[in-house]
Amino acid sequence: MKYSDQVARLVTERRGLMWTLVAFVFVVSLAILITRLRLDTEVLNLLPRGFPSVEALKVYNGEFSQTRELTFALLCQPDDVDRLEEFAPHFTEKLRAQPWCLRVLNGSPMETPDGVSDLQKIALPLILNLEPADFDRAVQVLQPARIQERFAELRHQLESGSPRPELELSLDPLGLIMPSLKPFAGNAAVESNEPLASHDGTMRVFPLVTNQKSVSPFESQRLMKQVDAFRAQALEGWDGGPLQLLITGRSAYVSEVSIAMRYDIVVTVLGSMLLVGAVFFIGFHRWLPLLGMGFALFLCCLVALALGLLIFKELNMVTVGFCAILVGLGVDFAILIYGRYQQGRNEGLEHRAAIADSIHNLGRAIFFGALTTAVGFLALVLSDSTGFIQLGVLIAIGISAAAVLMTTVFFLLVPERTRPRPHDWLLNLVRHYVTRLLARPRTILALSIPILVILGVIAFLPQFPLAIQANARSMEPKNSRAGHALSLIMAKMPVRWEPVLAIVRAKDDQQLHDYWQALTEHWTQLQREGKIRSFSTPSALALSPREIERNRQQLRQVDFSSTRAALQSALTENGFSAATFAPAFHLLDQLQEATAPDFKVKPWREELPPSSSWWFLVDRYFGHDPLLTTGFVTSNEPVTKQDKKNELARILPVPGVPTELSGWSYTLTDLVPWSSRQLLFISALMAIFDASLLALLYRDFRLWVIQVATLALALAAMVATMKIFQLPLNLLNVLAFRLVLAIGVDYGIYVLLVWQKSRNLAHDLAGVLKPVILAGVTAIAGFGSLGLAHNPTLAGLGTSCAVGLCWSLLATIFFTLPLAAAARPNALREPSASPNLEPEHV
Amino acid sequence: MSRIILIIFFVLGAAVVHADPLSPADVKALLDRIRALRASTPQMQADFQEQRRVHLLDQPITSSGRVWFQTPNKFRRETKGSAPSVTVSDGQTLWIYYPNFKSAERYSLARRSPLDAGLTALTAGLSLQNIEGNYRVTGTKNGDQYLLELDPRSPSIRRFLQKLDVTLNADLQVTRTEMAQPNGDRIVAEYTNHDSRPIPASEFEFKPPAGTEVTTPLGK
Repeated sequence: MKYSDQVARLVTERRGLMWTLVAFVFVVSLAILITRLRLDTEVLNLLPRGFPSVEALKVYNGEFSQTRELTFALLCQPDDVDRLEEFAPHFTEKLRAQPWCLRVLNGSPMETPDGVSDLQKIALPLILNLEPADFDRAVQVLQPARIQERFAELRHQLESGSPRPELELSLDPLGLIMPSLKPFAGNAAVESNEPLASHDGTMRVFPLVTNQKSVSPFESQRLMKQVDAFRAQALEGWDGGPLQLLITGRSAYVSEVSIAMRYDIVVTVLGSMLLVGAVFFIGFHRWLPLLGMGFALFLCCLVALALGLLIFKELNMVTVGFCAILVGLGVDFAILIYGRYQQGRNEGLEHRAAIADSIHNLGRAIFFGALTTAVGFLALVLSDSTGFIQLGVLIAIGISAAAVLMTTVFFLLVPERTRPRPHDWLLNLVRHYVTRLLARPRTILALSIPILVILGVIAFLPQFPLAIQANARSMEPKNSRAGHALSLIMAKMPVRWEPVLAIVRAKDDQQLHDYWQALTEHWTQLQREGKIRSFSTPSALALSPREIERNRQQLRQVDFSSTRAALQSALTENGFSAATFAPAFHLLDQLQEATAPDFKVKPWREELPPSSSWWFLVDRYFGHDPLLTTGFVTSNEPVTKQDKKNELARILPVPGVPTELSGWSYTLTDLVPWSSRQLLFISALMAIFDASLLALLYRDFRLWVIQVATLALALAAMVATMKIFQLPLNLLNVLAFRLVLAIGVDYGIYVLLVWQKSRNLAHDLAGVLKPVILAGVTAIAGFGSLGLAHNPTLAGLGTSCAVGLCWSLLATIFFTLPLAAAARPNALREPSASPNLEPEHV
Repeated sequence: MSRIILIIFFVLGAAVVHADPLSPADVKALLDRIRALRASTPQMQADFQEQRRVHLLDQPITSSGRVWFQTPNKFRRETKGSAPSVTVSDGQTLWIYYPNFKSAERYSLARRSPLDAGLTALTAGLSLQNIEGNYRVTGTKNGDQYLLELDPRSPSIRRFLQKLDVTLNADLQVTRTEMAQPNGDRIVAEYTNHDSRPIPASEFEFKPPAGTEVTTPLGK
């Protein structure tokens, strides 16, 4: 018994067995889904693996406390600048009072009394950590003569009205702390580039660290709910004009992304099902088969998700788009098979015979259609992007399941009794077109070829550029409040551009110190040579046990009693108030204690109070693991070009110091060649696969040429449309080209296979063309519904694919078929062909 | 008898120190007059005698010298004595030069920088520009002298200046300023020998003499 007859018997006579099997698959898949569903919201997992810059960015995002930082900003009208300045301290206090707030940065730590006091608490390790030459120079201020000289000079400056002595004496009365901050000198450049008020004073920024335990989606949503409640009453007491409160940060993004994901799942799946259902119903006017199709598709999604979870353990947010795509693609098989089934019934076949006939006639086309689509999506495995690999594998599984289920389970819900439709306007329209195309193919070609050629020219003309988005914003949700806030802050604040991150991990404290020492020396040289603009490193806080021990030994040579006496005498002689210099005497005591042989330096982390604003600086440089650190290099110009990135990659590292360079701009620039490779190389591979498969399938050179030309022109038309309508390509939706190749080829396969085998061309062609049109429209609707997604990557992929498939379908109808007719392949010369279908003679 | 003498003494004393508060309209009219005068004679120079009480020191600092000022923000101040210094600002950069040490400090005066706000506060007594915008002003008239009490509105100025009292003579020349700072410091300056002759532009420019060590304590 043939396969088609066997299936027909099973779905008509062994329905109990079939339903039991379906129930089993359903229950097992659902159980897997419920017990194992884990969603990955990490946007960085959309980027390809294997790039050190991507991996370093993941490390920075995951292992540095800065990820728990939220940035609040107040933006007022120009007339309200003074009011905003007055309101800022009240706002800071309000923030501090929030239960989710750990600390708020309200100014440079050096400018606040608490910040100065905190710095004095950690002064000792910083001083002892100085490089030997710097330490020896610094401790010279402890010589009695030097103390006298310094205080006389400060007194003189004070008399002259200089602001310097007051600044210096309140921060560093002994003159030792400032030299110990020398390694932070580069930071001044970075910090002063990021002040807390905009140049025009209309914006004030309040960086804040939250006490959330993790930046997981649910934890971030919970936090942002509280933050939104605060937002509602945060501006109470403001009596000026319009005042905007902007909030951004990782938690804000994670919360938005995860909520957007939920929205995307619901909207794209519902949108896709609604559109696809509408197209199916318009095409066939049948409810039960529509239900059967919906059920089969639901089962496909369930099976694919379950198998996907078993394979990957966790699914990325991009894979949520797969359901909508699968609905759009899987329905093709239902439409094709049901179209053929209905045609058989209309011609008088019984239910079982019509099922067998449809499977017999279209099974091969569906198999090859599923194969090309599955291979097309499986090619995403070569993308190296976890999200897209999952998407590819899930759709490959889903489409294979759809091919099986639509030729089996679908028929369980097709009623045995069915009446032929009296009027099928779509079929009539298609018949009319087929008749015309077989009779006068060149008339149609005269219209379609110029259009496709013009679009092809536009596609290749460099004068019409294709918009390419290679920035981080192309990856964030549409209408993102956090994104909007960030871009407003970036526009207002005088940040030059994003620095390059240099991530360094060491085995122990000494190695960490040595690594940063080497990098600091090297980058100082680069800065001197004008190769970089500025840099900052954690070297001041990367303590060296070796230097500390050496400097303690050196400190023993200081006569502390003389120093103390000299200080006292200098204060008296110059009229300084001794009470205000207590910290200087305290530091002298600490230094003397440090000379004891068994002295242990207290870890500076334990000395800094949790609310200290110095933590903002510390968290910038140190990860949760104190041996994981990062430095920042500001280049002379933004890193937007490959050669600039390559130059930085060449000059920044120091041999022997394992350094990972990263940052959003750096990484995205790094990915441009990958993206081009995706676009060109892998799309070319897909085209070769398609071309080989078509050659094998048709074994007819003319048909093969026609189909390959159709694919090329459809792709060119897709590019031209994207150029004309300014649809941007982002780093990831370049993958759309291979998907269009994989899916678009199916339309040609469906019609040309029928063309080859047909004995009644007009009849068979109309019979298959109607389902192909419906299938094309549903696939376009399925992908188009992704355009509704908040995730721009998903939306961009959906829109690009919808455009490409639209041109594939149009090219199949108005180019492939008329060209096949005009080329007069064998099928058209069959004796059974209707006399009125003779081709025209031009 | 002694009681009568005491009463007479108090009555006379009251008459001497009696000061009439100025109504807001009077203050506005006075400020308009000052503005008009500054517009016609934007430059001034005078000798000064200054006493500063600094919280870091046990005793106040007394200094004297001469000051040159041109609206809105150019000034020069030369301090005499054993610790001489020259302070010059062209509105963009502030220099403080110490001849004894052959050293100079340079400060950049970016708009809205803390230092700029501090200087605005310190020179407010001389410039009397944008007074209503930056301060809440109340005034009294004492004989032919006016006393203006300036209470800073903007938090950036309040960070450097708690209160500023300016005394003007009948010709509306500043004769005394008294400044209270949030850290407890108080600066009292008295001005004499006023002169409103034009001041050469070079007076507000500074080039460190050769061999001077220049530092930028606040960076840049």
